[in-house]
Amino acid sequence: MVLLVVGTQAALADASSLIERGQYLTYAGGCLTCHTADKPGAIPLAGGRALDTPFGTFYSPNLTPDPDTGLRNWTDEDFEHALRDGRTPDGSFYYPVFPYPSYTGLSDADVRAIAAYLRSLPPVRQVIPPHDLPWYLSFRPVMYGWNLLNFRPQRFEPDNTKTPGWNRGAYVVRHLGHCGECHTPRNLLGAVDQKRELSGNPDGPEGDKVPDITQNRITGIGRWSTSEIELFLEIGILPDGDFVGSTMGAVIDDNTGHLTPTDRQAIATYLQSVDSPELP
Amino acid sequence: MRRLALPLIATCLFAGLPAIATAATAPADAIKYRQAVMDGMAAHVNAVLLLVTGKVDHPDQVKGHADALAALAENAKTVFPADSGGADTRALPLIWEDRTQFDEIMVKLTKSTGQLRDAVAANDKAASMAAFKAVGESCKACHDRYRKPKD
Repeated sequence: MVLLVVGTQAALADASSLIERGQYLTYAGGCLTCHTADKPGAIPLAGGRALDTPFGTFYSPNLTPDPDTGLRNWTDEDFEHALRDGRTPDGSFYYPVFPYPSYTGLSDADVRAIAAYLRSLPPVRQVIPPHDLPWYLSFRPVMYGWNLLNFRPQRFEPDNTKTPGWNRGAYVVRHLGHCGECHTPRNLLGAVDQKRELSGNPDGPEGDKVPDITQNRITGIGRWSTSEIELFLEIGILPDGDFVGSTMGAVIDDNTGHLTPTDRQAIATYLQSVDSPELP
Repeated sequence: MRRLALPLIATCLFAGLPAIATAATAPADAIKYRQAVMDGMAAHVNAVLLLVTGKVDHPDQVKGHADALAALAENAKTVFPADSGGADTRALPLIWEDRTQFDEIMVKLTKSTGQLRDAVAANDKAASMAAFKAVGESCKACHDRYRKPKD
């Protein structure tokens, strides 16, 4: 009996630490910024934010477990398919405005923790409007072709020639934090162009220009020190004493400002290894 | 001749002063002055950070920067007059549509820069760093909502 009680308590402690880890990863995954409506008092993760892109306006889904308007009772497998394969539980396609081409690198453990956290949220009823897309994109199977051309499901593989800090940074920047979704330019089909990783995007979210964050000393962050990168990710201060706002301001509030100092340091380590692509 | 010239110049200067003080500021000049105040704040924020974190070793010089920052924050309250928006500024029209909320952030700015000034004067490193972060939060809160991203 005592053993059973101890066992149950241990299981409960495991479950709560899994949810806690999932909460951290949900922040680090930047889920809040897109999945929270852009209005005062909006409930985090209940969706409804309008995302203006060159391919139309998307409305982010409700990630709370509401049975009618949210994720209902998604299983770990449903989350795996969504995050890493870009497919809904019924097998249809997501649009890559949802950064599954980045999330595909997530580890099994991280996906399960995020799933546990999102399932633990109080259900919020919030009806999300349908996406407002041009006719040639509103037919979802068109994404089958897009994925064929532009997407390979692939887990993150650590590079054993690099330090653990670099590898953690690579995982956070490329996959979990999906920095490249905004900071890497896209090709004509709207796929992220990895050859120009993090070199800036003239046509980013909401039509804003997204800066180069490679080691280019003129256009990028090649002159930033490690501690300048870390403090920027924590509070948004630029090396000239200015404070960033707008979209990156939201990323700092919802994501990088909540990270552990170790994770911010890992991001800095990785960023300081990303060279500017050679000019054509 | 020299004796005559000096009072004459002085008279002209003082006669001119009230004119300068009462003349309506041209919107272009209001924008330039605002940018000067904002750039000045950024410069002092940066200087305070370098000194408070000990990256630059002139501990006696923090006070000057913290005092200047607190003074500039008071000025900042006045540098968003109506009609100082438009194409030549990153200040968004929302500032004037949303003035009450905007002014609340300005109050946070003057409060936190005042705390920073006091913490630096008391030579309290931990309090200085905490106040510094609060200053940053008010800068960022305003830039998040009321400033256009860079082109």
